[in-house]
Amino acid sequence: MWLREFLKTDAKPSDIARCLSLCGPSIERVHGKGNTTVYDIEITGNRPDAMSVSGIARESVAILPRFGFKAQFINDPYILKPIFPNIPDTLPLFLKTDPTLNPRWTSVVFDGVKVGPSDKKIQKYLELSGLRTISNVVDITNYLMHAYGQPAHVFDYDKISGHTMTLRASKKGEILTTLDGKKHTLPGGDIVIEDKTGTLIDLCGIMGGENSSVTNNSKRVILFLQTYNPVSIRRTSMALAQRTEAATLFEKGLDTELVLPVFSIGMRMMGSAAGGRVAGPVTDIYPERKKTRTVVVSKNKILAYIGPIKDTDITTPLESLGFTVRMREERVEVRVPSWRDDVAIDVDIIEEIARIYGYHTIQSALPASAPPNTPIDPMLMWEENIKIRLRDWGYTELLTYSMIAQNEGSAYKILNPLSSDWVYMRTSLKQSVLPVVHENLKNTKDLKVFELSHVYVHKHNDLPKETLHLIVVWSGNRFLEAKGLAEALFDLFGIKYNLPDFGTLEVSSDITVLYLDFAKMVELAQPRKAYTPIPKYPPAIEDLSFEVTGDFRIGPLMDTVKTLHPLIYRVTFLDAYQNFRTIRIEYLDTTKNLSDDVIRKVRQKILDAVREKFSVTLKNV
Amino acid sequence: MIENVSSANLISLLIEYEQITREEIRTSTEPSEMIKLKVLGSKSKLSELTRALSKLPKEDRSRVGLVVNQVKTSIESELSKKNTEPVQSRNTFDPTMPGIRPPVGHLHIVSQAIMEITRIFERIGFIRVRHPEVDWDWYAFESLNMPLHHPARDEWETFFIKSQVPNSKSQKNTKHAKFDKMVLTPHTSNGQVREMEKRKLPIRMINIAKCYRRQIDVSHTPMFHQFEGLYVDKNVSIAHLKGVMDFFFTHFYGPGRISRIRPFHFQFTEPSFEIDVSCGACAGGGCRLCKDGWLELGGAGMVHPNVLKAGGIDPEIYSGFAFGWGIERTYMMKSGTSLDDVRLLYSNDVRFLEQF
Repeated sequence: MWLREFLKTDAKPSDIARCLSLCGPSIERVHGKGNTTVYDIEITGNRPDAMSVSGIARESVAILPRFGFKAQFINDPYILKPIFPNIPDTLPLFLKTDPTLNPRWTSVVFDGVKVGPSDKKIQKYLELSGLRTISNVVDITNYLMHAYGQPAHVFDYDKISGHTMTLRASKKGEILTTLDGKKHTLPGGDIVIEDKTGTLIDLCGIMGGENSSVTNNSKRVILFLQTYNPVSIRRTSMALAQRTEAATLFEKGLDTELVLPVFSIGMRMMGSAAGGRVAGPVTDIYPERKKTRTVVVSKNKILAYIGPIKDTDITTPLESLGFTVRMREERVEVRVPSWRDDVAIDVDIIEEIARIYGYHTIQSALPASAPPNTPIDPMLMWEENIKIRLRDWGYTELLTYSMIAQNEGSAYKILNPLSSDWVYMRTSLKQSVLPVVHENLKNTKDLKVFELSHVYVHKHNDLPKETLHLIVVWSGNRFLEAKGLAEALFDLFGIKYNLPDFGTLEVSSDITVLYLDFAKMVELAQPRKAYTPIPKYPPAIEDLSFEVTGDFRIGPLMDTVKTLHPLIYRVTFLDAYQNFRTIRIEYLDTTKNLSDDVIRKVRQKILDAVREKFSVTLKNV
Repeated sequence: MIENVSSANLISLLIEYEQITREEIRTSTEPSEMIKLKVLGSKSKLSELTRALSKLPKEDRSRVGLVVNQVKTSIESELSKKNTEPVQSRNTFDPTMPGIRPPVGHLHIVSQAIMEITRIFERIGFIRVRHPEVDWDWYAFESLNMPLHHPARDEWETFFIKSQVPNSKSQKNTKHAKFDKMVLTPHTSNGQVREMEKRKLPIRMINIAKCYRRQIDVSHTPMFHQFEGLYVDKNVSIAHLKGVMDFFFTHFYGPGRISRIRPFHFQFTEPSFEIDVSCGACAGGGCRLCKDGWLELGGAGMVHPNVLKAGGIDPEIYSGFAFGWGIERTYMMKSGTSLDDVRLLYSNDVRFLEQF
């Protein structure tokens, strides 16, 4: 297997998968058998150094021994310190580059190249890795990319006008056709190479140009390995929607120190696989050498994060990954290898120690410090309280999407909606709930549903005020039930019943809808109940039946009677039958028993007031 | 057959018969016709007593005859009273009838899950809060160590909100420059720095709120819920994260369910982890529901120093951990295979909602 060209170990594929997933890159799937095991590996975006066969091998060498397996890293490219003989320039190449866009440029020209199929081993490796085999020359570039995480490219020397390559930023509107035949109009600022005539021949870091590509007839080939400014590569790749494997590697920022070793391996392969003879000196333009980075970590911090671990458990994991460690009294100085640009601060080092040491070895412990003293949010408390009440009163809770199709009342708008049904943030629950209710009415005749949820109220130049509203919907005309629920809710909040100030109650052809500004009710809530002593003397109770006409409204009559006299303790509604209305009056004096005489006087007052104000008299018995 | 009976005896027998019969009629459940036949018919005791009249001395016969008539009339009137009474509603009681139930409503599964999760974390001092759903890009990404154009932002398919703020170029160097792009937050992590800005340490927070992502399929809905835990204190350790996870799993999934952490990468945590929970169905052996005995739950990590700094906290003194998971997903894993399409949760079909 390809992996075994870099990793010598007694671990089986299933062991490698298990151990790596616990301490490093996640092995999603292992398939194939015997010599043809294929690993599908998920590597997080911060680890371009691991996005290659050798990168995985390096991880394995650090991880496998922790589980008792032997593991040795072979053919490490970083060990290579290639020196190139000075070859006279038979096929000259005129180069100019821009180091801010292209930190390192390596290239060399080959003559006598015979383009044909690759050997069986290379083909097998590439195909099992999901890459297409094209020709020996092109396959070398894919092989290098997959083996080392360093993309490579080849150009046909004879197709480059004036044998001149100038790397620069593109201007807006320039045109380039890539290898896949797609014609691109560049947004500008993209890294490109032009030939002597100014024609673009390469979309650097993403895909080569069609006009400079190697074909079966190519005889003279340029081998070309670089690194690029990751931000430029990403911008171009996203703008043109060209997400090639090379682009996804370059945009993460690759190690400039890796370029030359891989380049030398590529040179060797060109010779052996394609018969190429070097026809000029090796070009290596690398003006700003990478500086070594050292990160200092406080020992206390390491112990705080991981727990009590020995010095060797700090040093061994780091050294096995290629870090150099200097242990001091209170701190650890770590020299970071060139391929680990993702390690920049102390916590990055702590992660490397902890994951190799093994997260499974860290014991679990609950936080021992005192919990914070935070008051509970009243909005959350009321929300939960009322939801539970509604459930226990027989209502079913709906939970609809906050997004709706139409704008009503300066709603916040989604710029990139997923569907035309979900474009605006609702300003009323009705917008989301009523359509759902009507859908349900097709299948269920009797509905009692509610939703207590946010609407998004506009605030000038600011985020919306996310406000809780309550909507309750019944099937059919359930006016009195709805009113009863509203009255019960006001009671719970300790607010005097006043529906218009907080919402609406509407009956339409097939449903009844109660709508309340729940947040406002929470803000004005006064739920504290005070104790009132139980009366020592019982109330005197009598029922009065009045004869009324037509569409008489009993509410105002009851309100009038309630406040008519201090001895009137309670007035409740009993019955409505044809044109008679019966109410119950409770008379109470907390200091003494009431005499018939006193009651009679109060009753007369009631009858007088009722006749005067409402033109209504007692029912004739 | 009544032999040799005196007039006085016959009269008392008649009166006795009258009393007994009237009582019998009153309490009888038989149809009136049958009773009439029984008490007045030719085979009745009254008939027998009447026939005994002929055995009496001649001068007594008319006197006793009067009593017979009286008794007959009395019994007949009792019978006719029975006929005009409405049919008695049976006072019999059938206990096998279904009971009268109290009203039973249903909370949405998501609300149920939120309440359960809130209760569990309250026990270890993590209090529930709710941070905005519509938020500044700064809180959702920049404060979380993801500057503009950082590739990590691709991980979330974010919904953007049309700008409310006039051209911000003129505000470039003012405090408000960071508040101009609005998004629907794709994760509850936007609450991390907001919580830090409350300036109260230590922090133990659970932020539960709606999140939005531009994705819809069997495991994704464009609107969903997450719960985000944040613990910031002195000397916070990976061990504490594990401890809190284990506590939550034991109480939410059941005893014996434990956590496992594996390496991962988030811009806003370092080290970063993926959290697994042990599979309840196979207890570690591996089954069709899990991956080698473990179920992937979500992400977590130690809060990145840049995030603490963005929240005005000194990373040299304080550290912390954070985790953020989907409520729907976490709940669906609890109920096993019965819920296999998350879109069901937002269908709002009462026939579905009433099952829970």
